[in-house]
Amino acid sequence: MTDIDLPPFWDPESDDVLVCRAVRRQTHDVATFVLTAAQPRRFRYRPGQFMTFTVTIDGVEIHRCYTLSSSPSRPDSLAITVKRVPGGPVSNWLHDHLRPGMEIAALGPTGDFTLDLSHDAAPEKYLFLSAGSGITPVMSMARHLVDTRFDADAVFLHSARSPEDLIFARELAWMAEQAPSLRVRSICERDTPQNRWPGAMGRLDAALLAREVPDLRERRLFVCGPDGYRASARALAEQAGLDMARFHEESFDFGTLATQDPEIPAKIEALDAARHKVSFTRSRREIECGTDTPVLAAARAAGMRLPASCAKGMCGTCKCRLVSGTVEMKHDGGIRQREIDQGMILICCARPTSDLVIER
Amino acid sequence: MTNYDIAAIRDLVARRRPRHALESAFYTSPEIFAADMDAIFNRHWLYVAVECEVPEPGDALAVDIGKSSVIIVRGDDAQVRAFHNVCRHRGARLLPPGPALVGNLVCPYHAWTYGLDGALKFAEHMGDGFDRACLGLRPVALRSMAGLLFVCLSDDPPDDIDDVVRQMEPYLAPHDLKNTRVAHTADLIEYGNWKLVLENNRECYHCMPNHPELTIPLFAYGFGFAPEELSAEDLAQAERYETLRRTSHDRWEAAGLPSRLIEHLDDRPTGFRTERLPLDGSGESQTMDTMAACRVPLGTLRDKAAGGLHFWTQPNAWHHFMGDHVVTFSVIPLDEGRTLVRTKWLVHKDAVEGRDYDLENLTSVWNATNRQDADLVEMTQRGVADPAYVPGPYSPHTEGLVEKFMEWYLARLKAHLG
Repeated sequence: MTDIDLPPFWDPESDDVLVCRAVRRQTHDVATFVLTAAQPRRFRYRPGQFMTFTVTIDGVEIHRCYTLSSSPSRPDSLAITVKRVPGGPVSNWLHDHLRPGMEIAALGPTGDFTLDLSHDAAPEKYLFLSAGSGITPVMSMARHLVDTRFDADAVFLHSARSPEDLIFARELAWMAEQAPSLRVRSICERDTPQNRWPGAMGRLDAALLAREVPDLRERRLFVCGPDGYRASARALAEQAGLDMARFHEESFDFGTLATQDPEIPAKIEALDAARHKVSFTRSRREIECGTDTPVLAAARAAGMRLPASCAKGMCGTCKCRLVSGTVEMKHDGGIRQREIDQGMILICCARPTSDLVIER
Repeated sequence: MTNYDIAAIRDLVARRRPRHALESAFYTSPEIFAADMDAIFNRHWLYVAVECEVPEPGDALAVDIGKSSVIIVRGDDAQVRAFHNVCRHRGARLLPPGPALVGNLVCPYHAWTYGLDGALKFAEHMGDGFDRACLGLRPVALRSMAGLLFVCLSDDPPDDIDDVVRQMEPYLAPHDLKNTRVAHTADLIEYGNWKLVLENNRECYHCMPNHPELTIPLFAYGFGFAPEELSAEDLAQAERYETLRRTSHDRWEAAGLPSRLIEHLDDRPTGFRTERLPLDGSGESQTMDTMAACRVPLGTLRDKAAGGLHFWTQPNAWHHFMGDHVVTFSVIPLDEGRTLVRTKWLVHKDAVEGRDYDLENLTSVWNATNRQDADLVEMTQRGVADPAYVPGPYSPHTEGLVEKFMEWYLARLKAHLG
């Protein structure tokens, strides 16, 4: 027997081009891009790290960091998992242009939000908390954990907007089956008419956390998601009495790291601001609605059943009183200016320009 | 299919004694009621609303007439139109009775959506080959007579309406109905056949004993009396009225206010009568003190003592147009023994209640009078249903216009029955 002829490791000093090998659709707006080096290379990194990619769009070089969703336990390839972001130039470019065979410039991996498993340390218990596409670094950690410490005690709590937005749902289920000590739970803010969610609904809160992770204080926490989510996870962990030295968090948008492109965090913040809260007084529901989305569409997507028919501002079936807030509305005769003056709107063709309170 | 015996009704019509009340069956039989709806209410011009009730595009009003319901709506082109209040899909009523503000006309059932011109704009899930063009709302004939809205449920409405409009508009125009608004509406169900309601309206024989309020502004002898029976005092009253009528007509006509009598109650499909009548006291308005109830005058009327222009149409309306306000009445039969009398008081659209008029003062004469008339009609309905009832004669002096109503009614019924 001779030594297997293993390829050398990727060396950021000399290697800087990755080749797309596969594109895997995860959800309606999330895809995983599987990458290898142009020459045979193995990848050595710690789960949770990211790489910086460079793309040229309209003649402008843009740099963007993406955490690796792949696990270093499978060193022959890398993967990033990217969500389409309205107005997000790089993310959308990847979705629209990056195809197998194409090259992309990349730097790294790097980053300190990592799960480091030392061989001699006493076994630890883990809790992975993620929301939305913040799942990528903790997915990498979970994969690595299952591959290398298949009996490690870990809980994976992932929050998504709806069942249609669950990333890696099948793989996580499969992993939980393979590793009995891994527990996976998903929480959806809401379900959709096409996709009823049988599990926990709403957002991560103290009651849910106490139910799913009664031994939270004994665990090491890895948290990734939007600012608000991480802030609330931190508060919940503190409340539960966790030694905060065991609390590790990462913003999935790398706002503080994207120094090469200061516009990106600004854009992401603008996107966050472009979603408005819409409260329905009679239904006692609160949803979020983007400035480009008709309120009715957002309400339907949130699983609400509101009377409506034509959905183009013609029939007026969806007429509601706007208690507070402002909208932009393009109707087609389904409402009178006098009614608008009296505070009525057609929610099928009204887009929020502020937070709204609607009598319905 | 008619649900009445045409031959039997023809016989009843044929044996009616002229200048006498009708036989009991005309007031009590559901079959004759059905024939009345067919022959009279589904075929003649009916006064149903005032244009100021639909002042702006999107204003709609649904009015029930028997089994029918009509939507009156003002479109974006400012035109007022009328449609049957029946969805072309599975027939649901589009609007409940009463006023509404609509964008388009939308069936609440499956949201079929019609433009205010009646065209079907939207209907979901109807598949290929679905022809919207064939499924617009069915129009109802509509005429505005200086702001009074008349509809005809027939596809072949009497065409003499144009002539009535032509003759009436000069009388009505000075009151400028388009710049009024409804200050008050009263719906009163009278427990009597619709013909008893009309008969009661077409004479003032009953006014002296029954209408102490109405006879303050209105001369009880304005619609005829038997001179030989009057006391010297009553005769003086009657002469005073006659003189006042003559001098008033001269004054009004000279001022460009058409006033003289036009009477075509029984010689045409759209029978009508009009005359500007002097009022007692100050001569201003039908109020308890005969003074104007509203400070804001109507239209071009600057002579406060403009009396009351009365306007009747067969088969269902009467009105009083005064310098400060207008009272309109429409009669909608509900069944053989119940009739809706809808009264509307109109004032200038800028008049403010409490500042320019007092609603109680505006409405008190006719609220009292309507209540009294409802009681009289109900008494009569009970009496004519009594097996002992035998039709009696009309007064040749005071009930000539009742007879003209009857002549019109029987002729129209006969024309329909053939």
